[in-house]
Amino acid sequence: MATQFDADVIVIGSGALGNNAAFELAQQGKSVIILEAGEHVPRWKIVENFRTSSRKGNFNDPYPNAPWAPTSYQENYIENTGDFDLFPGMLKLVGGTTWHWAAATWRYIPNDMKLKTLYGVGRDWPIEYDELEPYYVCAEKALGVSGSDTDDQSGQGGDAWPPRSEPYPVSPEGDTYYFQRIRDRISAEDYRFIHEPNARTHKPWDGRPACSGNNNCMPVCPIGAMYSGDVHARHAENAGAKLITDATAYHLEKGDNGKIAAVHYRSSNGDDTRLTAKYFIVAAHGLETPKLLLLSEVANSSDQVGRNLMDHTGMGLQFLADEPVWPGRGPVQQGGIFNWRDGDFRREHSAIKHALTNMVPNTAVTQRLLDNLIVGPELDDRIRHDAARWVDISTVFEMLPHAHNTVRPSTRYKDALGIPMLTVNYSVDNYVKAAADVAKRDYANFVRIMGGQVIEDDTGWQNRDHLMGTVIMGDRAEDSVVNGECRTWDHDNLFLATTGVIPASGVINPTLAGVALSIRIADIIAKEI
Amino acid sequence: MRLPSSWLLGVAFMFSLASHASGAASPSNAANVDDELIQQGEYLARAADCSACHRPPEESGQPFAGGYVIASPMGDIIASNITPSREYGIGDYSEAQFKRALTEGIRADGAHLYPAMPYTAYSGLTDDDIHALYSYFMHGVEAVDEPTPETSLPFPFNLRVSMAAWNFLFLDDAYTHDPEQSDTLNRGRYLVDTLGHCSACHTPRNALMGENNDRYLAGANVGGWYAPNITSDASGIGNWSVEELVQYLRTGHVENQAQAGGGMAEAIEHSLRYLSDEDLHSMAVYLKQVPPTATGPAIDVSQAPREVEPVSPATLEPLRNDDPQAMSDGKRTDGQTLYNGACASCHQIDGQGTDDQFYPSLIHNTATQGPNADNLIMSVLQGVHREIDDYTVAMPAFGEQLNDEQIAAVSNYVLSQFGNPELDVDAARVTELRQGGPTPLLVKAMPWLMAAGVIFALFVLGLIVFLIRRKRR
Repeated sequence: MATQFDADVIVIGSGALGNNAAFELAQQGKSVIILEAGEHVPRWKIVENFRTSSRKGNFNDPYPNAPWAPTSYQENYIENTGDFDLFPGMLKLVGGTTWHWAAATWRYIPNDMKLKTLYGVGRDWPIEYDELEPYYVCAEKALGVSGSDTDDQSGQGGDAWPPRSEPYPVSPEGDTYYFQRIRDRISAEDYRFIHEPNARTHKPWDGRPACSGNNNCMPVCPIGAMYSGDVHARHAENAGAKLITDATAYHLEKGDNGKIAAVHYRSSNGDDTRLTAKYFIVAAHGLETPKLLLLSEVANSSDQVGRNLMDHTGMGLQFLADEPVWPGRGPVQQGGIFNWRDGDFRREHSAIKHALTNMVPNTAVTQRLLDNLIVGPELDDRIRHDAARWVDISTVFEMLPHAHNTVRPSTRYKDALGIPMLTVNYSVDNYVKAAADVAKRDYANFVRIMGGQVIEDDTGWQNRDHLMGTVIMGDRAEDSVVNGECRTWDHDNLFLATTGVIPASGVINPTLAGVALSIRIADIIAKEI
Repeated sequence: MRLPSSWLLGVAFMFSLASHASGAASPSNAANVDDELIQQGEYLARAADCSACHRPPEESGQPFAGGYVIASPMGDIIASNITPSREYGIGDYSEAQFKRALTEGIRADGAHLYPAMPYTAYSGLTDDDIHALYSYFMHGVEAVDEPTPETSLPFPFNLRVSMAAWNFLFLDDAYTHDPEQSDTLNRGRYLVDTLGHCSACHTPRNALMGENNDRYLAGANVGGWYAPNITSDASGIGNWSVEELVQYLRTGHVENQAQAGGGMAEAIEHSLRYLSDEDLHSMAVYLKQVPPTATGPAIDVSQAPREVEPVSPATLEPLRNDDPQAMSDGKRTDGQTLYNGACASCHQIDGQGTDDQFYPSLIHNTATQGPNADNLIMSVLQGVHREIDDYTVAMPAFGEQLNDEQIAAVSNYVLSQFGNPELDVDAARVTELRQGGPTPLLVKAMPWLMAAGVIFALFVLGLIVFLIRRKRR
């Protein structure tokens, strides 16, 4: 007698990655259920939440933070026990954390994926760039990515790189004056500026309007020009997937033959539900995914679940240029300096990306002036003067995976559903510290070239919210959680759709790779059902 | 679903040109056809907006390959292949057969076309223009040897032969040149009536879905959108200048006046923007002298107030309730809240749009100042999409984000604050428009008509039986 299932595939988490996998599967005629801990909230409501709050600088603030579906800024949501306080912005609602990102959609370059082979540090990916490339194309179309078909994104000033089988769906947007001025001056000393591919396209795409430069990607794009995961929640539902909100998965139940038999979820009223499926995709974020596996005692024969945590831990530089550069007009970021993206130096220290941040600086400018007790007419003049000259550089470093950088279910704190929250132990290694010295030398050059007056050039380590490594991908079951398909070594029917699988971080925002891997997961599962 | 401009949605049947042509004729040799004639035919095909319906389902597909599915009150209509494919298109049509299809609605195999193919308008085509169109379709269009699915409307609309009677009623006198009028007016009338078939949308239909000539160009509902009164009355385009009309026909955008959406946006995108300045000018001049038909008070959006009463932001946007359930509640039906969250980012909190009017004013706008709110509602439901030469207008659709009550609420807020405060939208109207607009009487009445037909048939049958029995006695 054939076994009855609630669905062919259950996807846990309705962020950009889970929804893209769900949509592909539903489109191929599979029955799909998506579980989401939070609620569906329409964009107009989030915009209203943003407009009617005074906490504009808190990117989680416009989003519901329910005791049964807490965002990452909930007290005790993350307890840090290491040297560094890891506090990524993370949301729980349909669409996930891509509600507030800047939609940077870089591809890894082939060398990023062979770090161990080429430079003797960290780990290699178990798959080659060429295997991922067709799925990068799918992901770029799904998100509507605009990018340059001529830039050498490895930052070495060569021909277009990495290789592409199809051009970018949309051409790059025009350069802001801010980007032009800083590039024109700093690139004179052989710093190579690269345009940032992005999913806030300047042409309408897939029902989204064109970006008009509201400069409000974080915390919310007010017009839905920037891609966010809710787009594919809608597509998945229209293709037949069933989306269940207020459904926090807390247990994966093991069945026969090493398979996962069911997922158990809890809703805010305390009701528990058990759902069965032929396949399960956990797409619950780089921190929550390992937590669910650890709580369920699955997929961890390697003891690598929740280890190897990597962020692109970074630092920053702010200075006032000697001319007005008019930050805050147009997109919040357009690219940056990529000299240190790849090279033999990666044996000694991590790769470095200096990104130009182009957010409206008025709040920071004003706060600083008030702190210096500047008031009255002088305050007005100085706000105008400083806000026009404010330059903000956000640097990120490539991390290496270390077993001692961990995320675990908390033994002290639980959420309102009685599910443990998170404990993180995270520190930055010497590989990164060595790169920080290089970055600071660059900072001194940037300030000199721009005739700058330093506001802050020693920020200490900063969160970058790019979580990787926690369910690491590899080619051996002994030291990795998933194989090159993102299938767990221990359970044939359990796949993980999260940037947590990424074993070598590079310096680029990993979401596009995550979406590409998720679409690939859907393709693999669809062939097996 | 997007609606092609010339498509008489909510009004008419659909054209389904023969996929099996009679084999006698063959196209003339391409080498003998001069390029100028083909180019002329291409221009005419643009002016007649053939591609609006005869397009492939995907934008990337081949021109005129057909296959595009159009929802109509009578059922799904599939646009036919009008490429010169011999097997699947019109490659075997002689010029005489081509002319008959265009001007009489009869395809090569003798079957009747549905009058969604605007042959009642095309009946006025000059022989020279038919020759140019024929040359273009035979030699300027690439053959696509792929079939399109058959259109199969439910009974009784599947009976094409009924069109003979319809044609008797509604296939009127064709356009003829009027030597009393200027060349400009003659050209304008030919473009408006014959090629552009403007009346297909802008003239209301009668109970049998023929155009009601007494209300020529006086406005009609088309698939939910309102194709407005474009007669010279002040409730039509009486207050528009010729220059404004030309600009609108070319771009769909006249600052502080009107923006094209729905089918009109498609007509501009696929057809009107390609016309010469002279032709657009002729159309505008002709429209300006079409006898006036009043459909309500005069519309003059320039008279709308320039300034909106200043309101304290605290009143407009009271501080937030931080309760997570309140922050998740997307079902509010307060128009002001909805406007500020969904609309104000572009149209601004005072409804004036942006300084450059890329995001248009809602105050000086025919969609909010017109005789009904249908186009406002439809813009919210479906968004506005219009591709012009160097940019694309794309207002997103809110139909999935807002329910019918919310759309009614936000529409009423817009109307009361910025537009015609006399108008009132209820959720039932939004529901109706969401489903494609009011159902034509003929479709609504069909079950009754069919029941009446059955009763009549039974009566006849009974009569026959009675007569036979009586005879046997």
